[in-house]
Amino acid sequence: MHIRNFSIIAHIDHGKSTLADRLLQATKAVTERESRDQLLDSMDLERERGITIKASAVTVHHTYNGEDYELNFIDTPGHVDFTYEVSRALTACEGALLVVDSTQGVEAQTLANAYLAIENNLDLIPVVNKIDLPSADPDKVAMEIEQLIGLPAEDCINCSAKTGEGIIELLDLICSRLPEPEPAKIKQTRALIFDSHYDEYRGVVVYFRIFDGSLKKGDRILMMGTGRTFTITELGRYTPTPTPTQEIGTSQVGYMVAAIKTLEDVRVGDTITLDTDPAGEPLSGYEEPKQMVFCDFYPASSDTGSKKTEFETLREAVEKLRLNDSSFTFEAQHSEALGFGFRCGFLGLLHMEIVQERLEREGGAEIIQTAPTVNYRIELTDDTTIDIHNPADLPDPTLIKHICEPIVRVEIICPDENIGDLMRLCETRRGIFKGQKFVSAGRQMLDYELPLAEIIYDFYDKLKSITRGYGTMDYEIIEFRADKLVKVGILVNGDPVEALSMICHRDKAVARTRIILLKLRKQIDRHQFEIALQAAIGGKIIARETVKSVRKNVTAKCYGGDITRKRKLLEKQKKGKRRMKAIGNVHIPQEAFLSILEQGD
Amino acid sequence: MPFVEKTPDTTSNPLTQFINNLGASQGRNTINAEDCLAQASEVSGLYIHIPFCFHKCHYCDFYSIVGDENQQTKFVERLVSEFAAVAPYITQPIETIFIGGGTPTLIEQNLLSKMLGAIATHFTLAQDYEWTIEANPETLTPDVSTRLAEGGINRVSIGAQSFDIDCLKTLERWHTPGSVAKSMQHVRNAGIENVNLDLIFGIPNQTMEVFRNDIKQTVDLSPEHISAYALTYEPNTPLYVREQRGDLQKIDEDLESRMFQETMTILEAHGYEQYEISNYAKPNRSCKHNLMYWNNKSWWPCGPAAAGHISGRRWRNVPKLSQYLTGFGLPSIEDVETLSENGQAGEALMLGLRLRDGIQSDRVDQLLQVKGGQWRRKVIEEHIQQGNLDFASSLRLTSKGLMVADSIIGDLLMDETSMVDTTMQDPNAKK
Repeated sequence: MHIRNFSIIAHIDHGKSTLADRLLQATKAVTERESRDQLLDSMDLERERGITIKASAVTVHHTYNGEDYELNFIDTPGHVDFTYEVSRALTACEGALLVVDSTQGVEAQTLANAYLAIENNLDLIPVVNKIDLPSADPDKVAMEIEQLIGLPAEDCINCSAKTGEGIIELLDLICSRLPEPEPAKIKQTRALIFDSHYDEYRGVVVYFRIFDGSLKKGDRILMMGTGRTFTITELGRYTPTPTPTQEIGTSQVGYMVAAIKTLEDVRVGDTITLDTDPAGEPLSGYEEPKQMVFCDFYPASSDTGSKKTEFETLREAVEKLRLNDSSFTFEAQHSEALGFGFRCGFLGLLHMEIVQERLEREGGAEIIQTAPTVNYRIELTDDTTIDIHNPADLPDPTLIKHICEPIVRVEIICPDENIGDLMRLCETRRGIFKGQKFVSAGRQMLDYELPLAEIIYDFYDKLKSITRGYGTMDYEIIEFRADKLVKVGILVNGDPVEALSMICHRDKAVARTRIILLKLRKQIDRHQFEIALQAAIGGKIIARETVKSVRKNVTAKCYGGDITRKRKLLEKQKKGKRRMKAIGNVHIPQEAFLSILEQGD
Repeated sequence: MPFVEKTPDTTSNPLTQFINNLGASQGRNTINAEDCLAQASEVSGLYIHIPFCFHKCHYCDFYSIVGDENQQTKFVERLVSEFAAVAPYITQPIETIFIGGGTPTLIEQNLLSKMLGAIATHFTLAQDYEWTIEANPETLTPDVSTRLAEGGINRVSIGAQSFDIDCLKTLERWHTPGSVAKSMQHVRNAGIENVNLDLIFGIPNQTMEVFRNDIKQTVDLSPEHISAYALTYEPNTPLYVREQRGDLQKIDEDLESRMFQETMTILEAHGYEQYEISNYAKPNRSCKHNLMYWNNKSWWPCGPAAAGHISGRRWRNVPKLSQYLTGFGLPSIEDVETLSENGQAGEALMLGLRLRDGIQSDRVDQLLQVKGGQWRRKVIEEHIQQGNLDFASSLRLTSKGLMVADSIIGDLLMDETSMVDTTMQDPNAKK
């Protein structure tokens, strides 16, 4: 029997899921009736956003030249925030289908994924999809693939996942063009974990690809990275419905259940071996997930009375989600301005958005989200480094040699006419121009290095608006780099407001703090004295706004029928004042903090 | 003078009302008008609410409707039945009566005379009583003025508001500036010598010059009393909605505060003493009825939505006219609130500090000694240090404190939310 392990990689909406579905149907694994749209995406959210967050693997059979082929289709997350997960899924394969929409052409994400596949030594089959559409231009797209990725245009296969045209030919190509897996290198068992998910009834379900040896139900296994041992209680394959089996052999793909309680016990990239006869070396390429983007979640409630239960709801939602997604981190956080909440770390921006939506949708938590920040690496004078993501954690300035920030390599594919505007956008975001490449008539690729902190706000929205939706981008974190980064403090009548301090580039500090001070000025009620709002770097004031003192605060009328209402109003104001955060003798409403900390301009 | 805030329709169901009318009183929410009546011997003032208007002024949030004559007849009959039910329990002579609205002088002349006659018949008036009626300039014809005087009224409060046609338009007042002088003349001719003019400042687009002219015209008419109010944007009024929508803009806070300063300066120069934040009077012409409010005294309310107070208990009559009209004698009441001693002390300070003479020091000492209220002494000391309060023979706002009276009063109100005493008081217990 022949085995082919492969993935499909594509830009969002280029038809990956539809193609996967069509392939399953063509192998008779699913009948038309059984087939829900896009079978492999199991979460609502994924379906709606057209992206795949959780990988899974499906085993089907195809007959080619009269011989039986076992096809293991390994699904990959569609976004570069999950680069590490994608790379692990790709490691489990020998080949990949690179799907490009024949009406859209090569996009930034197509490139990022193709590079990743090439780095993992995968053989690629370029697939030009959606050829049934009137605006399809498969020849032009094939040329783009040759131009940018270096795969010969004549190697492209045209198909339509929608009509089924070219699908059987594609299945045949998978059998003929993708390589047979290499035989086992050692006699001990080694299997790569490329994905896992949490099932409320069975605990963690682990997806693996066996490189050496085999796994049997009842085997005592050892996770080589974490050192944890478990006993396999269920072993099986998705066909695409889960089908238990007794044994899975070399080069094959499957899932296991082993009474694993939390996802933390299972690390994507880790190697499974037998506890009784362990392999000497694990498979290479294992890494800890690295959180690069951070933000705080607080319960969305201004009423202190119910705050506690709202916080509990949020905590439960966060803990539950963590069971399903071990790549985001959280720690309890208390903000004097916003109360109790969580500081969470994410692999990237999309990851952050997904987590927020899942907390609200699946956990029923209403959330206030603070503007995202990045992870800074602080080089200290004693030549050690520490990572921080909260300006409050910055050590004493005398101990700091450099503040370094994450730098990303950004690739943007856009129409010719937007090149100028996009370059200006990158310049204002401290971008370093790295290159410009011809894609096809009318389209170009821009290559920039940008600080991650500069793209986490609204860079993508700006890009989309400049290109009227036609531009696409992808990014990859390349390194930490020192720059003129400073801690900017916000002072209210001379007292620092730690919740509002931030790390930013010296050249941008004045402009950014001006916006903050203006927002504060609008939100703080006049007091009986004048209030100075200042921004400072160290002892140096760089911006100032003033809240004028109240001139007149006196009720004009207070007669018999007004008394109760009047008293209640004044009491309510007093209670409201008590809920406010007092900085010195200045009362700042929660809305003021929100207007600054919340996501937005 | 408007006394009564707009309240939502009562939600009490007929059964509850029935039980209330039987005098069943268990739990504080079932206190009814009879329970209040038990303490009516403390009352020496009456507030009577007439809910009719030509139309609703855009800044007004007091309960009023535009009624027809048939409704007025029913209303007066209903009101008189209320007088009859209350009067026997009010054992002291009545010192002050205030008829407010709405526009009380809008009532058809014969009905008006009938109503005034009923008041004088049912209640015993003190020798030097003060009896005020609120009026719009256009309603004060010679005939009406005569009827008022004959009915026993000795003080008229006229809603002049402004002498500038644009300002009047913004306020949706349709009288002409000249009608104020005319109406005053009619009132004086009828023999009523005590007149108040209401003024409003801080009207959108009003300039300092326009306002100075308003004060000048007011002073030229030489009323005995002037009430000058900063325009307030009460929620649920058209004015408020227009401001929220951005159709009109509040005037600058600095300009408004200068108008207030100017009012105090000019009126003082013309012999008017500011005896309360918004009220100015020639010697011995302060409004006794309103002083009763600020001195936290007890009074009885008649008419729909009228609010009453006896010794720390506040309530109001059912506000909806149709509901009021269906009853007889004492109306059902709502929004009953019985304050703790500490809560009463807070209110006494809130009200007393509005007076320029403030609160007598021995009275202040009493108020500061109530159970759970001692913390106020420290707050007062802080405000004295900041120059907001002055404490010698009386505790009073300084001219600096006057400008920010609400901030200071707010600090002196209850510290905790438990101002309202939730325990039922024995309705028969006499204090």
